[in-house]
Parts: sequence; structure tokens; C-alpha cells
Amino acid sequence: MIPIAHAGHWVVNLLYLAPVVLIVAMLAVSAHRDKRAEAAERAADGQAPGSTADETSGKPAR
Amino acid sequence: MTRRLLAAAPLAAALLVLAPEAALAHGLVGREDLPIPKVVFAYAATAVLVASFVALAVLWPRPRLEGQTERRVASVPRILDPLCGAIGVAILGLLVYAGFAGSQTTTNNITPTFVFVIFWVGLAVASALLGDVFKAFNPWRAIARGFAFVATRLSRRELPAAMPYPAALGRWPAFAGILAFVWLELVYSGRGDPSNLAVLILAYAAVQLVGMSLYGIEPWSRNGDAFGVYFGLFARISPLHWKRGEVRRRTPLAGLTTLDATPGTVAVVCAMIGSTSFDGFSAGATWGDLAPRMTESLRNLGFSQSAGLEITFTIGLVVLVAVITGCFRLGVRGMRDATNIELTNDQLSLRFAHTLVPIALAYLVAHYFSLLAYQGQALGYLVSDPLGTGANVFGTATATIDYTWVSATAIWYVQVGALLAGHVAGLVLAHDRALITFKDGPTATRSQYWMLVVMISFTSLGLWLLSSAN
Repeated sequence: MIPIAHAGHWVVNLLYLAPVVLIVAMLAVSAHRDKRAEAAERAADGQAPGSTADETSGKPAR
Repeated sequence: MTRRLLAAAPLAAALLVLAPEAALAHGLVGREDLPIPKVVFAYAATAVLVASFVALAVLWPRPRLEGQTERRVASVPRILDPLCGAIGVAILGLLVYAGFAGSQTTTNNITPTFVFVIFWVGLAVASALLGDVFKAFNPWRAIARGFAFVATRLSRRELPAAMPYPAALGRWPAFAGILAFVWLELVYSGRGDPSNLAVLILAYAAVQLVGMSLYGIEPWSRNGDAFGVYFGLFARISPLHWKRGEVRRRTPLAGLTTLDATPGTVAVVCAMIGSTSFDGFSAGATWGDLAPRMTESLRNLGFSQSAGLEITFTIGLVVLVAVITGCFRLGVRGMRDATNIELTNDQLSLRFAHTLVPIALAYLVAHYFSLLAYQGQALGYLVSDPLGTGANVFGTATATIDYTWVSATAIWYVQVGALLAGHVAGLVLAHDRALITFKDGPTATRSQYWMLVVMISFTSLGLWLLSSAN
């Protein structure tokens, strides 16, 4: 029942999807790293000496 | 992120090219006698697209296609327009007459070959090379202009003004017309019947004449006439622009940047790409497995074999058009999310709709090149014997189709080349448009990451369809 015997047919088809999957994965990883870097930057700004952070909420004052 | 991606892209592209060759060394060598497996062409195409993307980001900092001026090359005699219109009407008349009075065998009658090969495929390619030639030969436009001319002369006053073309209607009538035509071409079981085609040609002409009389000849031709829109879009790729009695020269593709953001434009182009995709898909093994099961299920519900097949193929056609539309919309949504631009998805889609036109042409050439190369030769004997009655008007009725003038390998390379060129052109247009849509170069480049994914998806899909159909 499991189509292993005919795997050659659809595995070859899936190979055409590989470039798309690879590029999407690269973009997703890059986007994730960017978000983490931005969050870290924001956190560093908030804890810097002499920063104008709001004492009650911990958020940077506007 | 931009710098990292730009640095990683060539490496990833190189890996894509090198890795699968080992895995498939004993795998896919088709009838075309290719030196490498077909799937490697998809990886190589991806590499070229990624390299093009990087090159655009680095070497194309300002818009070059947008807002270009055209240069006048030559003037066109005034008589040419009515003359071409008259030729168009004569061809229309011949096709209708041959459809009714000629042989009802598809290959012996000029009407099916002319409509599906010369008109739908050949004229599209001619439009991309020479400009909007269909506008000059458009028979229903010529008939409407002839009527308007005669009516003005007889009444000796201006005709009542047409209604303004509704903005909301946009190119939706053209979308409906293109869907109807591709349904006829790919689904309808009576498509090869010349008399059916003759009836449909007359019905389409009647609809066009009503549309032109209501909304004016030019507004309707630009928006409502499916073929006017279809060939007009391809003509924007051309370096030639025929306008107001003169021929102008412009950079190839530059005409697409002036495409107005009219509602329905995205749907039209996605229908063009989706229908060609379905034509390839329906020739492959996957559809060959799926379609009989769907048809059988429909037969069990009480439909006839013919109706079941038509419903199955209609579903396939609609799904492929929806998949193409969905891919593009996803790319646009990714672009919007990456840049936080204050435009809706619909507005952004329309702004980038023109980037799909070279891809539509690429799909058309890739899928129908062999049809044009082989079946197009049938015109040689059909012009001498258009009705299939044994006539020999020009002495070419005994001509035959030469199936050896282009090899299967050459066809494959033309197909791959067309797909690649079309998608690189799409990337160029998208990059150029991004530079005027977004504030700075880095944002423009970032906006195009997801369009790159769309282009790679369409390229891989196109090559998969070709490889499974061949």
C-alpha cells in the first residue's frame, strides 16, 4: 500500500522543489536572526547607563 | 541581512548545481540525449536567478527602465491601419467560412490550426518581437471603426459619445475571455470541430461589438477584449511601439513599466501562466494518474464520460490558475511584510503585475515552441487548401510537415532558455519597480527576496512540467 515501490517517480519530482525549499529556508533563518539581533539591540539600549528608560514599565521613554 | 544573503547566495547556488549531479548520475537522461539529468537544469536555472538577483542589487542602483523616453524611428502611412484592419476582417471571414463549409476533420481545415497555433501562439511571439501588430489587424476593432465611419458620414454629425468605461470593471472582462478561450483549448471536447470554432468566433465578435458600442472602441479594446489585452501585454516587451502614425523605439521591457494598475490585470497574467502550466501538467504522469480517478468518481455520481472528463479538466485548470495566483500573492505579501510599506496587498500586486508578463511569454514559448515549430508548418498546405476540399490555390497543397528540422534536444534547450530569460526579465522589472516604490536601495533589495522565491518557484515548476510532459 505504501508507494515505496514507485518512490522513484515522485522522489524525482520532489527534487524540483529543492531550490525553492533551500531559498525559503535561507530567508526564514536570516529573518529570524535579524529579529533576534534587533531584539538584543533594543534590550542593550534599554540597559545602557544614563538611558531614559521608563522606571515603572522598563520600556524606553518616548 | 542583505549583506549575509548576498554573500551566501553564490555559494548556495554553486552547491545547488554540484550536489544533485552525483545523486542522479544514473537517473534521468531523456529522449533528448542530454549530457546531464533534467533536474540539474532546474538547479542551474536557480543559480542563474540568484546570481542575477545579486548582480541587480550591486550593479543596478537606480531605476533604468521606469520613465524612459521613446525615440521616433519612422512614420507610418495612414492607409496602413485600415488596410491591416481589412486584412484582419478577411482572415476572420475565411476562418468562419472554412469552419462552416470546410472539412470537419481538424487537421484538414485551416480554422483550428490558425486559431490555436498561428493566432494564440505565433501572434503572441510576433507581438513580443514587433509590437502590437494585433491592434492593427484586430477584425472586430476594424469592423467597429468601419461602422462608426459609415454612420458618421451618413448621419453627417458626430455619433453619440460612448459611456465611460467603469473603472471597477478593469480588465476583468478580458480575464473572463482568456479563461473561456483556454477552457475551449484545453478542456472542451469539441475544440477540434471547425464548425464549433466558427460559431464561437462569431459569438466572440458579437460580444466585442456590443462592448465597443457601449464603452467606445479603444477603451474596450484596451480592457475588455481578451485578445487585445493578451497581445497588448506581450507587445509591451517589444522594443517597437506603434503609436499615432509612427513607430517608436524603446528599450525592450520598458513598455511594461507604463502598464496601468487596472483591476483584473494580475488575474489576467496569472490566468495566462496558469493555463499554460495546466497544459504541461495535464500531459504529465501525475495528472495521468489523477485524472482517470476523478473522472471515474464523477461517472459514479451520474455524469457521462465526456462531462466527467470536462469537469475534471476544468477543476485542474482552475486549481493551476489559483496556484499561480497564490504564489504571486504570497511573494507580494512577503514583500510587504519585509518593508512595512503602507500599501495594501492588492495595490502592491497591481504595482508588480507587469513583472509576470515576461514569465507568461516564457511559459508560452517553452510549452508551445514545438507546436509552433511543427504544427505551424501545416499553414503551408492549409493556405492552398483552407477548406480541405482538395484545392491548390497557391500550389503548396502537397507540402508536408518536416519533423526533423529541429531536434528534441534543441527544443529542450529552447524551452530552458526561454524559461530562464523570462524569469531573469521578471527579476529585472521587479528590481526596477522596487527602486521607485521603496525609499532606498537596501530596502528595495530586501523587498525582492520573496519575489526571488516566486521566480525560482515558477522556474522550477516550469521545468518540472516540461520534464514530466516530454
